[in-house]
Amino acid sequence: MPVNPSVFVFIAWRNIWRYPVRSLLTVFALAGGLVMVILYSVLVEGISRQMVDYATEMSTGHLQLHRRAFVDEQDLYATLPWSYLDAIETRLPDISAAPRLYAAGLASAQASSTGVLMKAVDAVREPMVTSVLSQVRSGTVDLGPASPSEEGLERHNVVVGTQLAKNLKLQVGSELILVTQAADGSIGNGLFRIAAILNPVDTAFDRTGVLMSIEAFQAMMYLQTGFHELAIKTRDTADLEISQAALDATVRRLTAEQPLDALGGAALVRNWREINPTISDMLELSRSMVIVMGFIIVGLASFGMLNTMLMAVHERTHEFGILLAIGMKSRWLMLMVLIESFFLALISALAGAVIGVWSGRYIQRHGIDFSGTMPDGYDWAGMSFEPVMRGHLEPAHVISACLIMTLVAMLSSLFPCWRTVRLKPAEVMR
Amino acid sequence: MTLLSLQGICKTFRQGEIEVEALKNIDLDVDEGEFAALVGPSGSGKTTLLNIIGGLDAPTSGTAHLNGIDITRLKESQLSDFRLFQLGFIFQAYNLVPVLSALENVELIMILQGRPAKERRARAQHYLELVGLGREMNRRPSALSGGQQQRVAVARALACEPRLVLADEPTANLDSENASALLDIMHKLSREQKTTFIFSTHDPRVMERAERLIKLRDGRIESDAVVEQADRAVPA
Ligand SMILES: Nc1ncnc2c1ncn2[C@@H]1O[C@H](COP(=O)(O)OP(=O)(O)OP(=O)(O)O)[C@@H](O)[C@H]1O
Ligand SMILES: [Mg+2]
Repeated sequence: MPVNPSVFVFIAWRNIWRYPVRSLLTVFALAGGLVMVILYSVLVEGISRQMVDYATEMSTGHLQLHRRAFVDEQDLYATLPWSYLDAIETRLPDISAAPRLYAAGLASAQASSTGVLMKAVDAVREPMVTSVLSQVRSGTVDLGPASPSEEGLERHNVVVGTQLAKNLKLQVGSELILVTQAADGSIGNGLFRIAAILNPVDTAFDRTGVLMSIEAFQAMMYLQTGFHELAIKTRDTADLEISQAALDATVRRLTAEQPLDALGGAALVRNWREINPTISDMLELSRSMVIVMGFIIVGLASFGMLNTMLMAVHERTHEFGILLAIGMKSRWLMLMVLIESFFLALISALAGAVIGVWSGRYIQRHGIDFSGTMPDGYDWAGMSFEPVMRGHLEPAHVISACLIMTLVAMLSSLFPCWRTVRLKPAEVMR
Repeated sequence: MTLLSLQGICKTFRQGEIEVEALKNIDLDVDEGEFAALVGPSGSGKTTLLNIIGGLDAPTSGTAHLNGIDITRLKESQLSDFRLFQLGFIFQAYNLVPVLSALENVELIMILQGRPAKERRARAQHYLELVGLGREMNRRPSALSGGQQQRVAVARALACEPRLVLADEPTANLDSENASALLDIMHKLSREQKTTFIFSTHDPRVMERAERLIKLRDGRIESDAVVEQADRAVPA
């Protein structure tokens, strides 16, 4: 005659409420651990996503196209012809592309001078790929021609980062002289007006970057042949590899139709992970850290479980002896203890998940505000962040955290369970 | 008819260097329906003997046949089924599962036996009424007196109609009034159900009610006698 195991479920459930305070403390420990794991993952996931967003949204885009020599040596002459831009735009209508040019130069303001990286962007195309031009701290972004200087010299507008503005004591409307070696070997120079100062986004750009229009760049550099970089935004980030393959194929066909010069090397398509390997590695690392931390926190919390169940088994030694004597099988006793632990773990998982999700969503919505201690935000992995840390609640992480907690808690109750198996009624009852 | 037959039961406990001979060559037959008391000074071997009869402990040598089956040869899992289906146990105290009501405690064995819900509920109620706890059925053990708890244990032991009920000092924690009352109930039920009882006791007032007195001393049976019942009426 089979025994209906529901009776063990029933007794186990009653046993939990035998010492409600002790059970609740165990639940608090486990649920508290779970909440910590969930919140930790919310923060790491939030920062990770912020990093990806910053990396892709602010400057990199999802994919980039360069010549090999530009990637390897920042070779000024390693350009891609302008016809490539039109061809890519017509052949891949699903993507947005923004061409860029780079050159090193010396910037002088009234107070001092410093080395800068000049970056030329297309004011129309760039906003379709990145939001770098909308990160305005002061002024208005305008890369067109500016009013002539007091001496009547022609000027162009440029945009700089916060740190460079600070270093050179620049304000909106200040004048800036850029000197560089042009593509033809001559000294190129120009007079510029600061149209806007940008929020710190990319640490390197913030310190040294000067944004200007492609026309102004070409006029100063005598470099008409093409562009250095094409930043590309795809519709769907999930299909990064697919978009990359599509672009790669298009570029390969293009190079066959319109061969590139020999010196600049092949055209190279890379995704943002390949462009920012440190960020990509950091993301992987911090995500695996969440798992490690999760096991540590939950492991510590489940010592509470171990203790509770050891005590429960210990104080019921006599009771178990009686039950064994009247015909209970020791594996049923073990099952009962396991079910009891499972209930504790389940209650903890539910409580922890509810509190964790609730507070995780709060962090996701409102973020954690550090503007009191770090008004300028913080730097991490070469990127500058706003002083508000935003979390991201990933349901899959909550589920795996709950599973890990339940698993570890059940593992820690195996030892107490195993003790019931060794009970001998005659010895217990003495 | 003989229900229980012990032959040459010896039990030696070994504690490190010291050996204790708790039982020395016990031969004993108990017939069906007997109401027998196991008496003797402390340490004489009463508990040891009851544990061997109940399959809770194995003898060092000898055989113990119950209903024709030698229980000393049974494996652990067979023993637990043997206890579940053939025996009833009443211990000194704390017999009951604290988180279950009196009724649930009585039902528990029948649940383990796999009896249908209706039947076991009806039987449990019936036996609790028989031991005078018809009103206290839904209380937990902590809300029952020591005497009441022992009566629940009696109901539990009898509700599944075992062949033999073993009780090791069932009255040891009770005052003499409660002890007498419990013995009366046990005796009455034993008569009505023709259930065989073997119980151990120190208490002379409890011994009085036994129909057979088996005296142990130093692990041997010192005397074994049927008590004259003529002068005492079985309580109704
Ligand atoms: N597990 C054991 N290990 C060692 N010695 C034991 C063990 N169990 C019983 N003994 C010894 O066996 C002898 C008989 O013990 P037992 O418990 O059967 O006596 P008892 O008649 O039930 O005594 P009491 O009336 O005090 O309950 C005693 O000397 C006791 O010390
Ligand atoms: Mg004893």
